[in-house]
Amino acid sequence: MEPRRTLLDVIRNDLRLTGTKEGCGTGDCGVCTVILDGKPVNSCLVLALEAKGKDVLTIEGLAKENKLHPLQETFIKCGAIQCGFCTPGMILTAKAFLDENPNPTEEDVKEAISGNLCRCTGYVKIIEAILTAAEELRKGEWHG
Amino acid sequence: MDRYSVVGKSLPRIDGILKATGSAKYTIDVELPGMLYGKILRSPYAHAKILKIDTSKAEELPGVKAVVTGNDTKGIRFAFVDTPRYPADGRPLVEDKVRYVTEGVAAVAAVSEDVAEEALSLIEVKYEELPAVFDPEEAMKPGAPKIHEEIAPTGRSFWEEWGVPRSAEVQKVENNICSTASISFGDVEKGFEESDYVREDKFKTNVTDHCAMEPHGVVASFDPTGKLDIWLGHMGFAMKQYWLSRTLGIPASKVRVHRIHIGGAFGGKINLFDYEFLAAFLSRKTGRPVKIVLTREEVFASTRVRHPQVIYLKTGVKKDGTLSAVHTKVIDDTGAYRGTGPVVCYLDHAFSLPIYKTPNLKYEAYAVYTNNTIRAPMRGHGAPQIRFAVESQLDMIAEELGLDPVEVRLKNVRKKGDVLPNGDRLNSCGLTECIQKATKESNFRKKRGKKAGNRGIGMAVSAMFSGAQFYPFGTAAAVRVNEDGTATVFTGAVEFGQGSDTALAQIAAEELGMTLEDVEIISGDSELCPIDIGNWLSGGIHVSGKAVQLAAADAKRQLLEVAAEILGAKVENLQAGNRRIYVKGNHRKGIPISNAIKMSILKRNGKQITGVGHCKAHEPDVNWYPSLTTGRGRFTSAYSFSAVVAEVEVDPETGRMKLLNVVTAHDCGFPINPLLVEGQAEGQGVMGQGQALFEELITSESGEIVNPTFLDYRVPRSFDIPKFKTIHIETDDPRGPFGGKEVGEGVIGAVPAAIANAVYDAVGIRVKELPITSEKIIRVKVDNCK
Repeated sequence: MEPRRTLLDVIRNDLRLTGTKEGCGTGDCGVCTVILDGKPVNSCLVLALEAKGKDVLTIEGLAKENKLHPLQETFIKCGAIQCGFCTPGMILTAKAFLDENPNPTEEDVKEAISGNLCRCTGYVKIIEAILTAAEELRKGEWHG
Repeated sequence: MDRYSVVGKSLPRIDGILKATGSAKYTIDVELPGMLYGKILRSPYAHAKILKIDTSKAEELPGVKAVVTGNDTKGIRFAFVDTPRYPADGRPLVEDKVRYVTEGVAAVAAVSEDVAEEALSLIEVKYEELPAVFDPEEAMKPGAPKIHEEIAPTGRSFWEEWGVPRSAEVQKVENNICSTASISFGDVEKGFEESDYVREDKFKTNVTDHCAMEPHGVVASFDPTGKLDIWLGHMGFAMKQYWLSRTLGIPASKVRVHRIHIGGAFGGKINLFDYEFLAAFLSRKTGRPVKIVLTREEVFASTRVRHPQVIYLKTGVKKDGTLSAVHTKVIDDTGAYRGTGPVVCYLDHAFSLPIYKTPNLKYEAYAVYTNNTIRAPMRGHGAPQIRFAVESQLDMIAEELGLDPVEVRLKNVRKKGDVLPNGDRLNSCGLTECIQKATKESNFRKKRGKKAGNRGIGMAVSAMFSGAQFYPFGTAAAVRVNEDGTATVFTGAVEFGQGSDTALAQIAAEELGMTLEDVEIISGDSELCPIDIGNWLSGGIHVSGKAVQLAAADAKRQLLEVAAEILGAKVENLQAGNRRIYVKGNHRKGIPISNAIKMSILKRNGKQITGVGHCKAHEPDVNWYPSLTTGRGRFTSAYSFSAVVAEVEVDPETGRMKLLNVVTAHDCGFPINPLLVEGQAEGQGVMGQGQALFEELITSESGEIVNPTFLDYRVPRSFDIPKFKTIHIETDDPRGPFGGKEVGEGVIGAVPAAIANAVYDAVGIRVKELPITSEKIIRVKVDNCK
């Protein structure tokens, strides 16, 4: 592994997991977010070697046995998806956030996703979807 | 009981699962065997002669498969606008001189992006810098640097190919003027004389970027028969296909634009781009697929941006606020090539015409060449600019005359049945209801003028077309009934996030008596789908949706005929619903659609059922887009309307501002999917907020864009957004499918103006230049104190 290669590059081009998107390559848009040992990171800013021995969750690993994660369900139901390009990163940021804070306020959610840009939705329905998913998750029926 | 069972419902979008799981494939995800990677060397100068290009070192670099320069692409022209008067002036690579920073000078195809990048650094270019001009009003002055020599047509435009007579001569470029518009109705001088109050203001608007989250990219692959397969972001494949065909010199049928998910467009992916042509050109040269994905910096600095305009507005009114005369003069900075200068100069006028009755009107506009990047459509295309001027000034007039701004608007707005000076008729118009509902829902009258806690509230209105007669001049759709009782829709409309696939599937399902799950949709593929005007003319529902409805109705008619035979009933007594064809009023007397289709095949010599439908973007007697220069000619068959109320809080000491609430009342005829319509209104609200408050691409003195990153170009983020309320005003347009009209770009027109009016209401400061930054608020405040 060349030391200069990013985690994003390896995920997309070696593993061919193209659910992780690239929007800027400079860590400003959050489109490439993956979860690294429980924390959301911009995979374009993480060197692949830094991920050695760590747990990496990409969007492809979120649904379990063809059952969508509650965030995936609520993003679809609430109209939080338009072009879909920011969606994988947005959902993973929200997942890492809800794992830490299962009972957030609207303001908490806004802060949590402030590093993820979306140009289509104006964020309104994304925030609604995350709050709705939090409710679902609190019921404890999801075992991911 | 509900009128409909599928349309009018907030159903989840049909591509939701693909997108939520990361399975949806976009252009950047396309990989083909043997694929090469392309990169473009871009000019660091805004205006410079090319003295010499030496590519020999780059060509020798291992892994480089092709290097091309302007010598290889000499004479190839393409552009958004290509008419007898305004021929195409864009080129894939610089030939003689550079006209803006980031203009392409050479292109490379190599085995990897890294090798391609290294090859660019080995290309030696000798430039001779020329004086440049970046301000359109400076560019118009005698003695300003001359950006273009004569622009000659390089072939017949599609207008001429389709029968538009060549009535116009090529317009000579004098004083860097790219195009002019001159339109008048009534007698504007007389109108001013008869006015009780006349006011003149100057407004300026900002350069903003679409910021689609998917960066621009393309994969092009020529096969040995000379056929091009291409994957790219588009807003209607016909434009890409036409220009690829013409620039590459191959028949349009040899260009296949593939269906692919598109990560946002907002007007920014309509026309052919340099890198798209170059990927195809390099693929043909190397015999291998070529992929080019632009960096975000290239997207900001080299693709397209919104037209910045200077708007001089003179308005005369009667004492009661009735409009008497309006004289508008627009100076549009269209950038180094024509872009859509001539179009936006028409649209500023055309999107205003359906809003206020103006008995005497004079409109003049100049699109001016500068050494800036090319300007093109961006959501609303002219509407946010002209509404900012008109709606700001209307509030100023109302205040001067002591009138209520809502009443002034209501007094002047057009109504259903009005015929516009260009001949367009408002067959549906909910503008009055939009204003009334938005006023009521926002508590406008109670909050207005109170200045409580430095809060303010403001209103503006906007209108948008629903398709127009532009190439390819017609739209068709096909609906195939499948043996399992489902249907497959084939449409040339394209999904780029707005929800086109879902809405069109809803239309087909409703017409066929199926559920949304029963309908598969094949869209946006130039080889599989019928021709379509595309979605960039805002005719996605009104025009493409109409064709889908007609196709579904045609398929249904055939199903009813089969069922009539089997049931021994008359066709006119049958209906489709719940996946069945049955006798009206007797649901049990019927057959499943899956049986009807099988019977058709077995009993009628294999006859399958495919319905077809077609329509124009306007009424059948209207053939062409109006004249961009004189404004003559009919424009669209249905206008959408919206009223936006914004509420802000401004700190008068620092100018710091928070957008608190946005209420939008929107007449889109009939919301085929209210959830998607809300998504469009909210997305436009926030994009309009950026346009109003902080987005601006800043150009340095040497013509370089200094903030081409998401760090420095401030796009609204989650913590910026206001609370939203969207109100649907249903007006059931008689021509639209189930009454539907434009949805996706009208609202943004009203947003910056509504915010500007709210800022004034909050702190009494009128900023006439977008974006309304804290700095400008303080500057105006200081000026007011002098």
